[in-house]
Amino acid sequence: MPPKEIDHMDVDSDSDISIDLGHNNKTKGKVKVKAGEKRKQDKGKAKAKDTQAYTWEASFTRSWETVQEDEAGSLQTSVEDLLARGRRRRLLAPASAIRRTIIRHLILILDLSSAMMDRDMRPTRFDLMLQYAREFITEWFDQNPLGQIGVVGMRAGLGERVGEMSGNPQEVLKSIADRHKLEPTGEPSLQNAIEMARGSMNHLPTHSSREILVVFGSLTTCDPGNIHDTLDACVKNKIRISVVAIAAEMKICRNLCDKTGGQFGVAMNEGHFKDLLFELVPPPAQRAISRAAGAGATNPAADLMMMGFPTRLPDASPLSLCVCHSEMKSQGFLCPRCMSKVCDVPTDCDICGLMIVSSPHLARSYHHLFPVKPYDAVQDEAAVPDGSTTCHACARPFPSKIANAKEGISSIGRYRCPDCHFDFCSDCDVFVHDVVHCCPGCGK
Amino acid sequence: MDYSHLSVVLDLSPAQWQECSTDQESALSLSSFLSQLLAFLNAHIALRDENTLAVFAALPGKSTMLYSSIDPPEQPPDMDSNSYPPFKLLDSAVISSIASNLDSPSDLPSALVGALTKALCYINRLSLGHSALADPRILILSVSPDLATSYIPIMNSIFSAQKLKITIDACQIFGPDTVFLQQAAHLTGGSYLHLNRRDALLQYLIMAFLPPPSIRKILAVPTQDRIDFRAACFCHKNIIDIGFVCSVCLSIFCQPVPVCSTCRTKFPIKTLKRLNASRPPAESNSARPSPASTPLSRPTSASQNGTNGSKH
Repeated sequence: MPPKEIDHMDVDSDSDISIDLGHNNKTKGKVKVKAGEKRKQDKGKAKAKDTQAYTWEASFTRSWETVQEDEAGSLQTSVEDLLARGRRRRLLAPASAIRRTIIRHLILILDLSSAMMDRDMRPTRFDLMLQYAREFITEWFDQNPLGQIGVVGMRAGLGERVGEMSGNPQEVLKSIADRHKLEPTGEPSLQNAIEMARGSMNHLPTHSSREILVVFGSLTTCDPGNIHDTLDACVKNKIRISVVAIAAEMKICRNLCDKTGGQFGVAMNEGHFKDLLFELVPPPAQRAISRAAGAGATNPAADLMMMGFPTRLPDASPLSLCVCHSEMKSQGFLCPRCMSKVCDVPTDCDICGLMIVSSPHLARSYHHLFPVKPYDAVQDEAAVPDGSTTCHACARPFPSKIANAKEGISSIGRYRCPDCHFDFCSDCDVFVHDVVHCCPGCGK
Repeated sequence: MDYSHLSVVLDLSPAQWQECSTDQESALSLSSFLSQLLAFLNAHIALRDENTLAVFAALPGKSTMLYSSIDPPEQPPDMDSNSYPPFKLLDSAVISSIASNLDSPSDLPSALVGALTKALCYINRLSLGHSALADPRILILSVSPDLATSYIPIMNSIFSAQKLKITIDACQIFGPDTVFLQQAAHLTGGSYLHLNRRDALLQYLIMAFLPPPSIRKILAVPTQDRIDFRAACFCHKNIIDIGFVCSVCLSIFCQPVPVCSTCRTKFPIKTLKRLNASRPPAESNSARPSPASTPLSRPTSASQNGTNGSKH
């Protein structure tokens, strides 16, 4: 794509409803008017007119109609509804602890076909995908510090290794940092890319997860063989495939996800695209293991791993070469087994192969294992103890009355911890469960 | 530069303060600590009119907010023509709320985690209101030693502070170095100080903790260089270099064990053999109990994390 056109795009991209069509036929925002657009003309998501909803859009049909103003003309109640919906989703989550896969391995397959130059998402699908992929990788490593990510591109009918499997977020981000090296071209090949990803995960131990996340923008795939064979091989190798489609739902993508236990979603818009990606950040529940063998049998999905806890060299220590980049540096970490110096943890030692982690990395995963109990919404004003007029955590005064009380949302804005019986405001409730993972009342 | 927010977490464990005030080398009584602290707090609000301040207390078994500059106390104190009203308001609010909360003697350890998470929630509340909350930071003034059971919640608080870009400073006034607070300061880019001369507390506070983090880049504030990031095994609480970690619950053991003591997961025999074979020979000579002995279980509610293979 010539950069000139992109510049042009930026100028009129502020408004979706540009009306000077005669003057500038390049205006294409949500409303597509590009003449040469053969393939995408019937795409539901870009249509302004709502002739028929696609199956994957069912829950989003005319969503603006559900947003209603209250008597005072404020949107506050609708916002609270959305909040309540989020709360309820969390409350519906299984109360008992589920076993999650803590050691994860993920291959991120990025579509680099020419379909990604489409501009139905601003600025282009390709740029948006890269931007979200970066945010996804950062967030993913934040929540899965012991995981590893590799990146594979689908371009010109081939699978292309963009980034090797690595546990260092900086290295993964660097592999997709240069957009000119990833310039989309040609047709994508799902089979080639998945085979490549499968090949690089074959050797992994059984206690780690093997996951593939495909960001797919094309409506076609150009495969050398039968992709259903690949699918069967993935099922056999216990690889979980998730697909986030940008264009539309494809039968093969849906099959890939359903048969391997992954998630499938079609992005409606930029925000939804991000939501779909970020749903895959928390570690997945571990699959049911065949219980025919009985509880006494050893669990193939559990294993003991040998890990090294390195010594951190102070910043003022004498310079030496690191084994990973051969750079002269003073700071670094010493592998406890072979005493070689690596730049960053967690990583596998380049010399002896020992997995090197620091104790905070292990601690970062603990909140998945010991979640905070969901708070109960207090509905009855009689249940309020004397003297508690402010949120126990942030000292914000509780509102006297919120107009509409729905299931999962408190009519008096109080959420109570089942353990310590202190009341918290809705902001702190969300904050405690999503970020802190530690109840301010009982301290656990 | 915008205003800066400071949340101070005070560790008010009566037992520890008693020991601190009768210390042989350098005694510091609670009352002299409070007067030096108030001078520091006054200095913070005097630096800039917009500066905000919140004070939290970790008391035995409970935690509470003593003062916050955006929720002033209901009844303002009697004004004294010789004192600056904001100082007077702050001082009287802090002193009176300490006095009202310090009545019940108890042997429980200080609820540092509760006070710390409250400080985080409070900063979260501020950042929801104002879009540009510059440089929020938390200063922990601690007198208690590390509490092993609070390791996970403290680490969780540190990670959420990292996420919210909050700097955590820590000052250990009395007692041995605390590894948790060292890690908190290191991971959030703050400073950690272990006081040698307690009578110079105010000087330490003003020199090291008064400047907001944006200014510290051009000052030489004390930083920690040597922080131990090694882990302690769950079975003998030994500090170890190479450990064996359960893939399900991340419990750390100093030797290959057949069953995880935390989540009761059984490990394959093959792995045990392989790991035993690959252990460095020097280590296997050291006296170690037989693997069959039941190791101590983790003090937290670890057993909730799924039993052997029956959850999905």
